[in-house]
Amino acid sequence: MTATQERPTGAGETRILTLIQAVTEAMREELARDERVVVFGEDVGARGGVFLATAGLQAEFGPRRVFDTPLSEASVVGAAVGMAVRGLRPIAEIQFADYMGPGFDQIISQAAKIRYRSGGQFTAPMIIRTPSGGGVKGGHHHSQSPESYFTHTPGLKVVMPSTPYDAKGLLKAAIRGEDPVIYFEPKRLYRAAKGEVPSHDYTVKIGEGAIRREGTDLTLVGYGGVMPDAERAAAALAAEGVSVEVIDLRSLVPWDRELVLSSVQKTGRAVLVSEAPRISNFMGEVAYVIQEQAFDSLLAPVGQVAGFDTPYPYVQDKVYLPGPNRITAACVKALNY
Amino acid sequence: MMTASPSSPTTLPLASPIEPFSPEPLRWVAEDGRPVRDLPARYTPELLRELHREMVRAREFDRKLVTLLRQGRTTFYAQSSGMEATQVGLARSIRVGHDWVWPYYRDHTLGLAMGVPMIDLISQCLGTNSDLCKGRQMPHHFGSASKNFVSISSSIASQVPPAAGNAMAQKYLGTDEITLCTFGDGATSEGDWHAGLNMAGAAKAPALFVCENNQWAISTNLAAQTASPNIHIKAKAYGMPGFYVDGNDIVAVMEVCGYAAEWVRAGNGPALVECLTYRVGSHSNADADAEKNYRTRDEVNSWLARDPIARVEGLLAHLGHPVDAEERADLISAVHRAVDADVLKAEATGQPDWRIMFEDVYADTPPHLREQAAFVRAEMEGQK
Ligand SMILES: Cc1ncc(C[n+]2csc(CCOP(=O)(O)OP(=O)(O)O)c2C)c(N)n1
Repeated sequence: MTATQERPTGAGETRILTLIQAVTEAMREELARDERVVVFGEDVGARGGVFLATAGLQAEFGPRRVFDTPLSEASVVGAAVGMAVRGLRPIAEIQFADYMGPGFDQIISQAAKIRYRSGGQFTAPMIIRTPSGGGVKGGHHHSQSPESYFTHTPGLKVVMPSTPYDAKGLLKAAIRGEDPVIYFEPKRLYRAAKGEVPSHDYTVKIGEGAIRREGTDLTLVGYGGVMPDAERAAAALAAEGVSVEVIDLRSLVPWDRELVLSSVQKTGRAVLVSEAPRISNFMGEVAYVIQEQAFDSLLAPVGQVAGFDTPYPYVQDKVYLPGPNRITAACVKALNY
Repeated sequence: MMTASPSSPTTLPLASPIEPFSPEPLRWVAEDGRPVRDLPARYTPELLRELHREMVRAREFDRKLVTLLRQGRTTFYAQSSGMEATQVGLARSIRVGHDWVWPYYRDHTLGLAMGVPMIDLISQCLGTNSDLCKGRQMPHHFGSASKNFVSISSSIASQVPPAAGNAMAQKYLGTDEITLCTFGDGATSEGDWHAGLNMAGAAKAPALFVCENNQWAISTNLAAQTASPNIHIKAKAYGMPGFYVDGNDIVAVMEVCGYAAEWVRAGNGPALVECLTYRVGSHSNADADAEKNYRTRDEVNSWLARDPIARVEGLLAHLGHPVDAEERADLISAVHRAVDADVLKAEATGQPDWRIMFEDVYADTPPHLREQAAFVRAEMEGQK
């Protein structure tokens, strides 16, 4: 439903950007477009963020719009809530998703609840951007995938792009939206994911998935850092004559149920991939909805490939992550059921 | 049981020469090595040489680890060059192996000076089978149960409330141990920092909080971090004395931290010490461009001129026992050889295999983890 909508035909120029460049560009354009947008967090100013996502923004927009904060995630998130309530459009950076912990209470008690508890009188349209996921030899304090904590909290939108196009479009949509959005950036794709990004203004609607590859035998669903491996697995299976449809969820809350369900109804098989630990993994929800709504179409149990239920290990980083072989094996299992 | 009367004053022995809340950092030795206060008798040339050796060892360890990074044999390192007097001095201020330490990630010099074997640090950085922490955490996050040196966590200030609890347990158990908890200046902005100090203060727990104020938290300087003129003043809010020390003067660090440690041990409640120092290197290897991005060469140079190792050398010279150049060169090459040897020893133990990943998640392995381990075993066997 969306893969075709997202690229307006004949829409002029595109350039090849990395995912992180697309993130920067989205912020730059929105800072220029809307005075209410402010960007802040630890080290985002002169340094440009530890991954350089905000590089150059302070020089361009000044320290009133782009600024460093004290080292306190509770302050960063809590202040974003206050600014948003007062009419700004804050984009707060949490240096690593692993450090959302100290800001957790502000996210779940304030950002997520203010609209509801005030009967809609007060709202907090704000973005928390944060690099997440593994594959960079970071050990457990620099590699976690905590998205499920946030998908479990009503009131928050949760997105995770895997391409530069989506990174820019989703961030812009988040900035222009009316709700708090947790925007996870798969850090191992920051520079590894390169792709065409239009020069003109566009957004990617939060809540719409994308078909990365069409297929008829099995539906492979993922998001974020696992997408390149999912596509590799699909390509490997294609070489064996198996036609895999690859879906990138892009948004977890809300997520594109129709896209997933219509695909599973077509293929009869689903394998769900994420790198977060398995227990209470968001994909458990996707699996539940598939069995509830598409049970009659299923030719095999829904397969799941996830991280293990251990803290993220340093040395075993490669074994921990579900690489293309593990994804392929899960698909083969579903196909041979 | 752990009640403190809200009105009980923060008592300091009047005879003490060490004033809390001093407006300037306390120092014993000037930059050129001349004493500016009476040098207590224990600072014999022998002790000063020993301290000098430990500081040089730490500095050279930093150098060698940066080389290992360049060679791709480890992936992360945060130097403590420039902060040797603070960390070596701290190690000398507590009872090693008796007291407990909740350190932060820039404390390898503290660990080395406390006698954590160099190979333990190196093994952790390399994630080999000889790593006591079993390759779980990123490099440079060691821990040593034999020294009561609790494994380092990357999450800033998250060690502060546990350190308060450690100290509360020491009080509860009626020990004469204390807890040393260290952190950078940036850490003092986190809610956990305030929660931990407040708790320890309310419980009158024997905790010695030490801020290794190197004046930068990655690219955020102290003025952007807090509107307080310094860190130690925050102790007032938590009902404990705050001391301000020249962290590049090892005598000052040992005098003040040693005094504060014994004051804490005597049951007076916690104390906060701020050691004013400077990290002359980058924040970590992920930040090799500090001078280009956020701080000036001039600033770095002005701190290089206040080098803590040079200060001890100056003091030794002043006392008529100069460190001779040859001796110094020998010392440096001995450290380099020792690191090289330990690296080879550590690497020879190999990398932990996949099984290690499923251990220590819980005291005993629950069924779902046994299944996941069996899954990886099948995968590994299939790959053979
Ligand atoms: C909770 C948390 N937030 C952010 C980070 C990322 N980070 C790592 S070191 C650092 C700066 C810490 O500065 P400081 O406490 O002054 O110690 P220093 O590195 O200067 O010794 C930051 C922000 C982290 N490790 N933990």
